[in-house]
Amino acid sequence: MSSEPDNPDVPDAETEYQHPEDDGPDPEKHCGHGRGGMGEEVSRKEDKRFITGRGDYVDDIKKPGMLHCEIVRSPHAHARIEEIDGSRAMAMDDVVAVLTADDLLEHDLATMPTLMDDTQDVLVNDKVKFQSQEVAAVIAKDRYAAKDGAEKVEVEYDVLDPVVDAEEALKEDAPLVRDELEDQEDNHIFDWDTGNEEETQRAFDAADVTVEEDMEYQRLHPAPIETCGAVADWDPGKDKMTVHMTSQAPHAHRTLFSQVSGIPEHKVRIVSPDVGGGFGNKVPIYPGYVVAAAASYVLEQPVKWVEERSENIQTTGFARDYEMTGEIAATEDGEIEAVRVDVLANHGAYNAAAQPSKFPAGFFNIFTGSYDIDAAYGSLTAAFTNTAPGGVAYRCSFRVTEAVYLIERMVKVLADELDMDPTEVRRKNFIPSDAFPYESATGWNYDSGDYEKALDKALEMADYEEYREEQRRRIENDADKLLGIGVSSFTEVVGAGPGKQCDIAGIEMFDSADLRVNPTGNAVLRVGVQTQGQGHETTFAQIVAEELGMDVDDIVVEHGDTDTEPYGLGTYGSRSTPVAGAAAAVAARKVRDKAKSIAANELEAAEEDIEWDRESGEFHVAGAPDRSITITEIAAGAFMNHPDQEEPGLEATNYYDPPEMTYPFGSYVVVVEVDRETGEVEFEKFVAVDDCGNRINPMIIEGQIHGGLAQGIGTAMLEEVTYDDNGNVTGGDFMNYLLPTANEIPNFETGHTVTPSPHHPIGAKGVGESPTVGSPPAIVNAVTDAMSHAGVSHVEMPMTPDRVWKTLSEHGLDIGPADNVAFEFDDDGAGEPADD
Amino acid sequence: MKSAPFEHHEPESVSEAVSLLESLDDPTILAGGQSLVPMLRFRLANPDVVVDINGIDSLEYLREEDGYLKLGALARHADVEDSDLIDERYGSFADTAPLVADPQIRNRGTVVGSVAQADPKGDWGSVLIAHDGEVVVEGPDGERAIPADEFFLLPYDTTLGEEELITEARVPTPADREGSAYHKLKRKTGDYAMAGVAARLRFDDDGRIESAGIGMTAVDITNARASEAEEALEGERPSPELFEEAGELAAEASNPESDEHGDASYKERMVDVLAQRALGDAAERAGAVKRRVTQ
Repeated sequence: MSSEPDNPDVPDAETEYQHPEDDGPDPEKHCGHGRGGMGEEVSRKEDKRFITGRGDYVDDIKKPGMLHCEIVRSPHAHARIEEIDGSRAMAMDDVVAVLTADDLLEHDLATMPTLMDDTQDVLVNDKVKFQSQEVAAVIAKDRYAAKDGAEKVEVEYDVLDPVVDAEEALKEDAPLVRDELEDQEDNHIFDWDTGNEEETQRAFDAADVTVEEDMEYQRLHPAPIETCGAVADWDPGKDKMTVHMTSQAPHAHRTLFSQVSGIPEHKVRIVSPDVGGGFGNKVPIYPGYVVAAAASYVLEQPVKWVEERSENIQTTGFARDYEMTGEIAATEDGEIEAVRVDVLANHGAYNAAAQPSKFPAGFFNIFTGSYDIDAAYGSLTAAFTNTAPGGVAYRCSFRVTEAVYLIERMVKVLADELDMDPTEVRRKNFIPSDAFPYESATGWNYDSGDYEKALDKALEMADYEEYREEQRRRIENDADKLLGIGVSSFTEVVGAGPGKQCDIAGIEMFDSADLRVNPTGNAVLRVGVQTQGQGHETTFAQIVAEELGMDVDDIVVEHGDTDTEPYGLGTYGSRSTPVAGAAAAVAARKVRDKAKSIAANELEAAEEDIEWDRESGEFHVAGAPDRSITITEIAAGAFMNHPDQEEPGLEATNYYDPPEMTYPFGSYVVVVEVDRETGEVEFEKFVAVDDCGNRINPMIIEGQIHGGLAQGIGTAMLEEVTYDDNGNVTGGDFMNYLLPTANEIPNFETGHTVTPSPHHPIGAKGVGESPTVGSPPAIVNAVTDAMSHAGVSHVEMPMTPDRVWKTLSEHGLDIGPADNVAFEFDDDGAGEPADD
Repeated sequence: MKSAPFEHHEPESVSEAVSLLESLDDPTILAGGQSLVPMLRFRLANPDVVVDINGIDSLEYLREEDGYLKLGALARHADVEDSDLIDERYGSFADTAPLVADPQIRNRGTVVGSVAQADPKGDWGSVLIAHDGEVVVEGPDGERAIPADEFFLLPYDTTLGEEELITEARVPTPADREGSAYHKLKRKTGDYAMAGVAARLRFDDDGRIESAGIGMTAVDITNARASEAEEALEGERPSPELFEEAGELAAEASNPESDEHGDASYKERMVDVLAQRALGDAAERAGAVKRRVTQ
């Protein structure tokens, strides 16, 4: 790897397996050995089955005797259940069972732990806490009968006043959401803070300039195209529970399932088959999974539960919902001296956020971003409300999205206050490229970065100066469409994570790879992460191809089945390549080590004389390149002629505990046109320059960037889960929760720089979430930039035409169609004005 | 689709359909199904009996005849979108069709079905109003034509009799110096209108507006006519100031509600903007003016 800074935290595993003569793949070369290794745009192995309709999703699974589960949900957001009468449903022909909390209590399955160690009702016991909460379940012979049966379940509610807003929830007279908890007298969940409060206050007291802005990161839903579901199958012969489910973390779910059910873990098998998008939505355990398993256990038949779209949006883990106040203290010439942030977090009815247990606010304390800021302080209060529980990491590394939004918006606010170009403020404050590894004021150890390089590239690609010129021209001419240019130079923290910092329900966040080479020279790689569209089956095969000189087609990647895969923590938080990708590389290097011994045996040379040649993908005798051997030949030797001092076979396993997180970054430039008549926003240009370290498959990265940018546009422009005052979800289906389509997506121009991670075995950093994290502030910066000459400092997301128009109007920028239009009349035309 | 069970009938002629409507208990008519099927799926509609008219081939037409543009009950949005006749002579129809929902819905959904649904957010009702159009219905007592103004009562409620089937929507063919347009504001492709305005203008030989029609979408309990704006236009020559006055009058006549996509005050203002834009396009298409954007 080139230009890597010294890092004292290089892992033992790497020291051991990173050979002195082999620094890993060369990022500049992008390899291209032609075997499908690092840097090659290999077509996705997954695509054949997906494109030809041969994917196998949970809802495709059919088992003999399989029953179907439909959940009865509360129409009220806050209500005590007086009575549930399932007799009319039970009287229907194809209805097999009606389950309520009482039935689950008998089997000790009435509650389940959340990822933040709260306790959630599987089926409501006593009090409904959010609209559409699970009240009862109907099990029937087909899905239609289950749905018919659910309509016949009669539930009597005593309706209570709900509270849906976090600020309202913390008021003294607010309805108590969690009255079943001892010692819980209000809706306050926890307070959290980070950084140095006094030092930050001192910096603010002494500062030339301070700016402050309130901003809300609205409640979003990950909304994967496949909703959540499970097929649970209790085998009373083997006392074994098999659950096929939409899981981003099958092993962690196996452990949790075992804990909830009391079935020993070795008798629980979780299979996550093809998954149609997760985006953090499929990290938590949901009541539906547990109900399906309980029903299968009780009825001794397989039970399928697949939720509908509106059930998915209304009840499964939402994301964001942070009300934030940001402040910056700076010098007159734009040097940032301190940043402070205060957050009110709406966690819904249960504390069910999905993040490492030591981080109640996730990695929100990355809010100093790409900037070298001496003093920082953040505080946060979380509240219960009568809304669905959540706070999942929606295409996000645990609240990084909120943090990046805050700092990237605040830099723009500061630039406007100082009347400076926002890119100049960024340059002035970037952590210099020679300052890595860098420890931030809130304690993060950034691995590597070259922020200015990425910004320079993005500005050049975007014709930044020309657009600034055009922007000035339009303002001077009072044009009916204003131009706005927004920039975001974000830094992510991904790859959770080092066991010393990160765990999920107590389990350290390592990941694993198990590589087995067959006698005929091809191989199977099993990993503990789970793909939901990220292309692991291709990317990880490329890592092995690179490390062993194999052809990428000779490697199959398996994932998602806890009976066969090594234990892993799953895929979310852009952790798969930083953690499991590292494990795959290390496992491959272990195999290479053993291969060397076999090569020596086959070539009749001393082991120390055997050299590995990355370029040719072969081993040869030092000084005699003709005396070479490939991994295919070595594999045969391992099974048919193994050396006396070695075991037969050729395989290795690695459990990789990353020494640090990785820090991908990038700069995005967005140019928008704002219609002064309607408040509509159109994208004129969209440039995304990303740096995710060494790139494994540029085509897959490009796809990741495109998808994430689309979601960023949805966030900035369209999406919000809304509630009315009665706790009714008013944004709970795709008619009201607006996802962008191809028509709303502009042409993206993508670029990249390469700054390898010094501590990752192949220098990679992870990329899946950068665009979702980095693009919303760039878009909001662009829209505010179009109006900042009139004093506009902020527009809340989603930036509906209504909101934008009101902002225009409040600042005297709105116009009517007549303001800029004149009519011409043809000489011979009917419209020629008469002389009157 | 997990709808509640229902009985499904497939008549092959209008008379067969009408006798089914007469004999069956509380039947629901299925045409393109782009509103009904989602309602069945959500169980917001739980009909016992569905009369599916998709097999009545005689209702598949879009043509000019007897001084009208006629759209049979099975003319799909996509048929309007793809029609050369529409492109040449019916600006408001050509504007509207590609703005309805998304291509999948337009391939299946029908213009008449959308009108019959009487969703105030539906686009076609405004176009019919602007063109002084009618719906033609067939019932036990034979055929009758209902003017668009008399058709819409309340959201999802019309003056259609329970035993009647709409067979056609029609508007008078345009005069030489006539033009029309539709402008719609929506948050994304596939979304309903936040506001929409259809405008039609006919000019006399002297260049004055002889007849004006303005229909509004999503800003009242039904598709609505902006009568005062029409009156203000008639007898006048087109000018930015005149259209500005008409836009304001249309906005005053609107009665929108606030929702998560926009405030009432914003929607009212947008009626003004959209009306001016639609009037400008209509006048231009009538050959009455050329517009010039000044900057």
